[in-house]
Amino acid sequence: MSAKVWDLWPGEVQWQPMSRQLRTVWVLRSLLNVLILAVLAAVPLTIWLGWDGLLWALGGYVVLAGLRSLAVARTVATWGYAEREEDLLVRHGLLTRRLSIVPYGRIQLIDLSAGPIERMFGLTTVQVRTAALGSTTEVPGLDPPVAAALRDRLAVRAAEVREGL
Amino acid sequence: MTGQVPERPDAAVREEPAPPLADLPYGPEPAPAGPSAPPAGAARQRLHPLTPLLESFRFFAAAAAAVGIQVFTSQNFLFAVYVAVAAAVVGGIASLIALQYRGFVIWGPELHIYSGVLTRSHRTVPLDRLQSVDLVRPLRARPFGLAQLNIEVAGGDGTDARLAYLKVDRALALRAELLAIAGRPIAAAPEPEADAAPAEAAAPAEAGPGALIPPVPVRRLAVASLLEALPVQVTALAVFGTAFAVTGYFFGFSTVATTVWFGFLAPALLGYVQSTVATVNRFLRNCRFRLSRDGGSLLVERGLTDTSHETVPVDRVTAVNFDEPVLWRSRQWRRVEVWTAAVAQQGGGAVKSTMMLPVGDPGQVALVAAESVPELPSVFAVERPPRRARWRMPVAWKRTGAALDERVFVVRHGVLVNTYVAVPYARIQSVRVVQGPFQRLQGLATVRAMTAGGLGHDAVARHRDVREAVAMAAELRERADAAAALERPRLS
Repeated sequence: MSAKVWDLWPGEVQWQPMSRQLRTVWVLRSLLNVLILAVLAAVPLTIWLGWDGLLWALGGYVVLAGLRSLAVARTVATWGYAEREEDLLVRHGLLTRRLSIVPYGRIQLIDLSAGPIERMFGLTTVQVRTAALGSTTEVPGLDPPVAAALRDRLAVRAAEVREGL
Repeated sequence: MTGQVPERPDAAVREEPAPPLADLPYGPEPAPAGPSAPPAGAARQRLHPLTPLLESFRFFAAAAAAVGIQVFTSQNFLFAVYVAVAAAVVGGIASLIALQYRGFVIWGPELHIYSGVLTRSHRTVPLDRLQSVDLVRPLRARPFGLAQLNIEVAGGDGTDARLAYLKVDRALALRAELLAIAGRPIAAAPEPEADAAPAEAAAPAEAGPGALIPPVPVRRLAVASLLEALPVQVTALAVFGTAFAVTGYFFGFSTVATTVWFGFLAPALLGYVQSTVATVNRFLRNCRFRLSRDGGSLLVERGLTDTSHETVPVDRVTAVNFDEPVLWRSRQWRRVEVWTAAVAQQGGGAVKSTMMLPVGDPGQVALVAAESVPELPSVFAVERPPRRARWRMPVAWKRTGAALDERVFVVRHGVLVNTYVAVPYARIQSVRVVQGPFQRLQGLATVRAMTAGGLGHDAVARHRDVREAVAMAAELRERADAAAALERPRLS
């Protein structure tokens, strides 16, 4: 079962990778998240074990953060998007693999957003929404010019082939 | 590398005119240019004078109850008279003031609704986006011959507008008017079923001949409701009984009866009673069910205590559900429900479908199916997921499946209530293929075809073979495009 879901898609698909910075950003973000967890865990550990608790918290942080960064780094590699003639394909996921197909004609909204860490590295996320609830498709970690260009292409295509609800 | 906001580089680009589009303009002709908002002096149509009274119905009931108790305990009947006079005066003045600010105007292709005394609100409903107009008659409004119009446009929460309350005949006329404004481009389209309909469209809504199906006998509806509720009820009672007997056997019945009762059984029993009440409610709501056709839309009238009129434009149907509760199977009864892009808050539920047939035999089901989506069959040959997926759903496996039918994507699922979901290809918004870690080990994947509106009625084909799933998604995309291209393009 080595074949990934998206590799089975019929025809040739040109997968565009995300920006190289995305891995850095996401690893940083996960390090930060785990750090918050570690700080939260350090307080009861210190009360329970004395100053040794801090060491335990630090050790746990190093191990967890290492594992998490590895997983995140591998996850980033699975992200990709492809613009085809009639639709946009987005793939991602390490354990659970997801492949979203959004026809240009059904696009209702296109959002660009960038969080603080993303902005520091000059990255932008493109969000594509259709009329279906919960069908927001994200393309994270694009360089701003690439993201803006993608947004413009999508918007033009969406206006050309508008389809109904 | 800087913290530049990404919108900047293209801000200038957006100022320029958009690149040329396709040669043919898509969608309906733009409406003739006119003022987008009605002038301040435009004659507003008023709502019925009793409206504020009915809207604060709960408050009045509570007040009446409080006063009643007060009078009963103190035996001071003069007090009741004072309160009644005061309430009448205050309520009357408040109603008069409130009515001055409430009203609606139909202005070109838009409906403007005004409300609010202190906080003014002005809602504009673009009628070309109209999904449906429902006429509802709540119990409290029926003695006064009043009704309420629920106007739905596509979208999620808060996109519906209410016009309450109006005289019934006025509400019916207004609904016809709104639908006529909304439906003008639809009626102009050369649709095959539009030609067959005018004879029925001419028939007034109250008359019998427009009905598509014979009225559902109350007896059959009652039996059907009972049969549907029976498995749940029996299971619940069995669980309660067993729990009580087992715990009673070990700890003594009297202790159980006092301690466990309040902790566990009472809440559970409450839920049980609630589900029973819901069943009865649904039965009452589906009584006197009538389905008729009016041009390009279907009219549903139903309800014993609260009557409601619902209108479903046929070309807005995003999915058709065929439900078959376990105990209906031997009788070959099925229920038909239809989803549109509107998500209404009516009845408190977040997701809402419109009942097309509360219970019917195969012939009626086929008839209703063909009416809700042109040429939709009512019996589908779905293909089961591969056998290796069986352990994931040992009971449901036999009754699960998916098929790419000629016009619709069909999915079957469910144990207690087995459901076929049919989604016309033209209504599929986006497609998603998801493969969880265990599915990957088995070479399975789930395909989800999403339609406009809620999450509840996406067509989900679970646990297909990976290759088949991806091929299915690709095929769905192609067929969706083909079907959408066949339709007369429209903007909403």
